[in-house]
Amino acid sequence: MKQEVPIIIGLVFGLLVILGVFFPTLGSLGVWKKTIDDWFLLATAWAVGVGVINLTQIHAKRIRSKSKGYFHSIWLLICMYGLTVFGVFFAKTPSNSGWQFVYNQLLAPMSATVYSSIVFYIGSAAYRSFIAKSLDSTILLVSAVVVMLAAVPLGRFLLGAWINQASAWIMNVLNSSGMRGIQIGATLGAIATALRILVGIERSHVGGAAE
Amino acid sequence: MNWEKLRNIDRRVLYVLIIVIIALALIKPIGFAIVPSQDTIKAYDYIESLPSGSVVYLGMEFSAGGIPELMPQIQSMIRQGFRKDLKFIAGGMWVMAGDMAEKAFSIVADEFPGKQYGVDWVNIGYKPGGEVVLEKMVSSLYETCVGVDYYGNDLNTLPLMAEVPTIKDVDLISVFCTGTPGEREYIRHVTSPYNVPIIAGLIAVNAPQAMPLVQAGQLITVLTGMKSGAEYEVLVGVPGLASAGMDAQSFTHALILVFIILGNLGYFLGGRKQ
Repeated sequence: MKQEVPIIIGLVFGLLVILGVFFPTLGSLGVWKKTIDDWFLLATAWAVGVGVINLTQIHAKRIRSKSKGYFHSIWLLICMYGLTVFGVFFAKTPSNSGWQFVYNQLLAPMSATVYSSIVFYIGSAAYRSFIAKSLDSTILLVSAVVVMLAAVPLGRFLLGAWINQASAWIMNVLNSSGMRGIQIGATLGAIATALRILVGIERSHVGGAAE
Repeated sequence: MNWEKLRNIDRRVLYVLIIVIIALALIKPIGFAIVPSQDTIKAYDYIESLPSGSVVYLGMEFSAGGIPELMPQIQSMIRQGFRKDLKFIAGGMWVMAGDMAEKAFSIVADEFPGKQYGVDWVNIGYKPGGEVVLEKMVSSLYETCVGVDYYGNDLNTLPLMAEVPTIKDVDLISVFCTGTPGEREYIRHVTSPYNVPIIAGLIAVNAPQAMPLVQAGQLITVLTGMKSGAEYEVLVGVPGLASAGMDAQSFTHALILVFIILGNLGYFLGGRKQ
């Protein structure tokens, strides 16, 4: 019953939500759907708490066993709990000057810096992978060059307005048709996976293997 | 000459050149002309067509990493909107939504001193729950926010919230996102069922995925990364961070293209070895 009960609960509530979306005025389906939505929001908030406990357990274990790089775990726990205590008991609102300092001078710049470091990896990957070894790779190379030049004012400055028109054609015709196919396929796959989870064929989320 | 070496240039050389190029372009910009594209003009024209007093919902679905590409778009839209006496409600499903909205509206105090919080704009902040939040917003913004805004103010004391009881009642949704949840969730829960028009501001890497949505009519248009931010700044007449960054972006793209050419020369002249 350890796996069957969660699967039955998932099936019942999943069906209620699906039917509530398509037939909101049928009986009390609409009311049930709204109620389940509220429970979902509560569960999401609880999930954050579960995540914090899980992180603490994993990193406490690493600290106890003094694994390689365990000082990173110490720093993570200090930052996680320190910021939580500061926010809940001292700052209390986002307009607090201390909270603003932590956010504007630490969190936001560090987050932007980490995200910006991707440019180095993209540059290196582009240099190594955009080689015209075959017809397919040549088409990819030419498309990438056109789109990259059109994405900046330098392209129009060097080559004229036609580079922007060529890039727009690539994005609106070639790219859109390919993306449409990919997204339809991905959506059909997501529907199939959701149905498998609902009816219990897929059980990895409750600790079992797929049937 | 050993052409094979062109294919195996140490990546650290590229990294150093990128840093030098970006620094030089930021310190000594050339100022290439920024010509607005049709996509950005479409967004600008749509905002211009809204009557005074219209309410725009700003979906701040990104975190600090998206600031360089999305914040110029948002602030330009706010400038244009406030000149036309539009009103804004900002919030989102991402954790930093409230912080991003606060940062976006930081320009108001200096540039629009006559605009009043609660009357002309409201920041409802981050709401947990992913796309289920949008389902709640369709029923009641007040209940979704549990009665308070990002700063803890009672929503009943904010006149703008009385005009807009649900997200269906806004005149336009402008969602700015770097991932999921993003524009698709708004289309699924708000735009398609209730015919609320939507403009999407995306980072450059996500823009190709949204093109089918524009062609299907589900999105009015897509603003793409820092380039659209710079174009919007040109249209609004207030150059900012995006305009300043375009020279750096131009030269970085050029540098990467030079290295791609070198790699191809190394491949073809070096005997096409794998």
